[in-house]
Amino acid sequence: MNASPTPEVPAFQRSRQARESEITLDHITDDFDGNPAAMQYFYDLFRRVFIQGEALPHEGKLIGTTCIQAPDELIYAVGATPVRLCNGSYHYDQIGADFMPAKSCALVKATLGMLHSATRIPKTARPDLIVNPTTCDQKKKSSAMIEGMGYAVYDLEMPNVKESEEARLYWQRSVRQFAHKLREVTGKKLTRQNLKKAIAKTSRAQAAFRQLHNFRKSSPAVILGKDVFLITNAFFFDDIDRWSDAVEKLNAELTQRQAEGFKAAQRKAPRILFTGSPPVFPNLKLPVLIEEAGGVVVADETCSANRMLYDMTAVDEWLVNDMVDSLADKYLKPCTCPIFARNDDRKRRLLDLVASFEADGVVYQALAGCQVYEMEQKSIAEALNAQGIPMLYVETDYSPDDQGQLSTRIEAFLESIKTRKRKAAA
Amino acid sequence: MNYFAGLDIGSTAIKVALVDEGGRLAGVHVTESGSLFHKNAKEALRMLLERHGVDREQVKYLIATGYGRKLFKEADDSISEITANAIGAHEAGRAFGGVRTIINIGGQDSKAIQLDDQGNVANFAMNDKCAAGTGRFLDVAARNLNIDLEELGDYHFNGKGAPLTINSTCTVFAESEIIGLLANGHGKEEIVAGIHYSIAKRTVRLAKRVGIEDRVYFDGGPALNKGLVAAIQDELQRELVVPEHPQTTTAFGAAILARNEFFAESD
Repeated sequence: MNASPTPEVPAFQRSRQARESEITLDHITDDFDGNPAAMQYFYDLFRRVFIQGEALPHEGKLIGTTCIQAPDELIYAVGATPVRLCNGSYHYDQIGADFMPAKSCALVKATLGMLHSATRIPKTARPDLIVNPTTCDQKKKSSAMIEGMGYAVYDLEMPNVKESEEARLYWQRSVRQFAHKLREVTGKKLTRQNLKKAIAKTSRAQAAFRQLHNFRKSSPAVILGKDVFLITNAFFFDDIDRWSDAVEKLNAELTQRQAEGFKAAQRKAPRILFTGSPPVFPNLKLPVLIEEAGGVVVADETCSANRMLYDMTAVDEWLVNDMVDSLADKYLKPCTCPIFARNDDRKRRLLDLVASFEADGVVYQALAGCQVYEMEQKSIAEALNAQGIPMLYVETDYSPDDQGQLSTRIEAFLESIKTRKRKAAA
Repeated sequence: MNYFAGLDIGSTAIKVALVDEGGRLAGVHVTESGSLFHKNAKEALRMLLERHGVDREQVKYLIATGYGRKLFKEADDSISEITANAIGAHEAGRAFGGVRTIINIGGQDSKAIQLDDQGNVANFAMNDKCAAGTGRFLDVAARNLNIDLEELGDYHFNGKGAPLTINSTCTVFAESEIIGLLANGHGKEEIVAGIHYSIAKRTVRLAKRVGIEDRVYFDGGPALNKGLVAAIQDELQRELVVPEHPQTTTAFGAAILARNEFFAESD
C-alpha cells in the first residue's frame, strides 16, 4: 500500500501553492519584531485560506472581478458577493503560461492558471459571472480564454482616455449596462435603497483604510508596508464587514502605538513610496525585501492597495440612475492606471504622495510583460528626478529566483538614500 | 599598525583587499568562490594576511560585500556591492583624474553606476536576472570555442575579417549560435570579436540608462580582457579607465569604508 499523508498534514498543505504562500507568510510574520496584535486576524486568515485551503463562504451570487474598475457597490446592491480574482501565485503563473505567450504579464497568466485549475486557491465557489474590465490588451484577450474554460464572462467596456466628455459618457453607459447584466444574473433590481446600503458598506471599508493610510504618515513608522499590503490583499476575498472590523481594530491599536511613540522601523529608515504593477499575495516579494533591508514602505500607488480603496464614494443623487452615473465618475476620474493614453494624474498623485508621506524615494515595480507599466517607467522617473526624488525601477516576475539580485539593488538604493540624507544634513 | 579589510564574496570569485590607516592599498587576493564559499572566504583572508605578515588582530574592521555578504558573520558589517564599488572606483579613480561613471561586469551580473562629484551613488542600473552579457557568457563562449578565458583578448585582435554578429543575447541561445558559426567554417577570431561586441552593446545600453559622464571606469573580472575593453570603447565612443586590479575595486571600496567606519566609531 502507498503511504497516505499523515492526518496532521493534509495533502493540500504540501502542494506547491500552499508552500509558496507559507514562505511569504513566514517572512511577513517571522522576519520582523513587533507585529501589531491586531494583524493576527489577517495572518490567520491567510494561513487558513492559502495554506490550509479553507473554503470561502459567500452570500447570493458570486461575482468574480479581474480589476478594481468593476464597481463593488453595484454587486453588493443586488445581494451578490464580489471576489477579486487577480492572482499572485508563481504556481498558477506557470499553469497560465499555456494560455498566454511566454513573455506576458505574470498577473494575467496566474489568474488564468488559477481559473483553469481544479484546485483554485482562494477556494471559492465557481463564480456565477466574471467581470473583466477591458483594460490592457492582455486582460482584454483573456476574456475569451476564461470563457473557453466554461465561465460566464462579461466585458465591462473601458474607454482609452479618461479626460474627454465622450469617454465619461461612454463609461457611464458601460456601468449602466453592467448594472443591467447584474440584474439578469441575480434577478434583483437595483434600487436607491439597496445601492445606498451597498455604498455605506464599501464606504465603511474605505474610511477604515483611509485612517490606516494616514497612520503611515507618522515618522518613525507605526506600521510596516508589508502588513498593509497583506490587509489590502485580504480585501480581495474576505467578508467586507469582517474586514472592516479587523482594520478598525488595528486602527485603534495604531492610535495607541502613536501615543506611546512606538517604532515599527528605525528613525532613519528610508521611507519608500511603492508604485507600479500591483503586489498580489503571495507575490509580496519586493515590499518584503525593501523592509527586510531596513527600508519602510510608507505609501503606495498600486491597484492592489491604495488605488483600490483610497477614493471614497460620496453619492448624493436622488434617482438611482443618477447615482449609478455618479458612481461611474468616481471610478473613472481618479484612476491612475497606465492603460489610459495619457496619465499625467499618476505623476501628480506620486508627487503628492511623496510630499505628504515624506517619502525619500520611490520603488517602481513592473511585472515583466506588463507593457503599460514598463512604458510609463521613463516618464515617471523623469518627473520624479526633476523634483530630486530618486526612483528605483525593478522589472521582476513571480519566480523567486531573482531575490538575491533584487536585494542587492534594493540595499544599494537604500544606502544611496541614506548617503543623500546625510549629505543634505551636513 | 592597524589594517582594515574588505571582502567581496562574488558568484565566481572571492576578492579581499587590505588597506592601512591612511587608506592606502596594502594588498589584494583573489580566489575562486567554489561551493564552500564561506570556508574559501576565510581562507582567502588568511592567505592575504599571511603574505603581508599581518595578524588577524591587526585588522580592526572588516566589511563584507557581494552575494555572500550576509552569510559571512565574521564581518563587522556588510554593504551592497554597488555602494562598495562606487567608493572603490571613486578612490582608485583619483589617479586618473576622477571618475563619474562605472561599468562593472561580474560573474553573473553587470551594472552601471553614476557617481556625483563627491563619489556618492547618484543612479545605477543592473541587468535583469539573466547571465547575458556577464562573465558567465564569456566563460560559456570560451568553452564552446575550446580556448582559455585568458586568450580571448588575443583572439579578438588577431582576426582577419570583421567581427561576426552574435544576435542572441541569451547565453543559452548564443551558445548554439556560436556552434552554428563554427560549423559554417568561420574563424574563432571573428567569433570572439563578435561575442565581445555583443556584450559591449548590451553593456553600453545599460550605461546609457544611468547616463554617461566622463571618466568611465571599467572594472570586474572581464575588464582584464583587452578585447572586450576595446569593443566597449568602440561602442561607447569614449576611452575607458581600467585600473590595475579591476577585479578588486569593490573589495577595495569595502576596505576603505571599513577604515572610515572604524575612525567614525572611535571618535
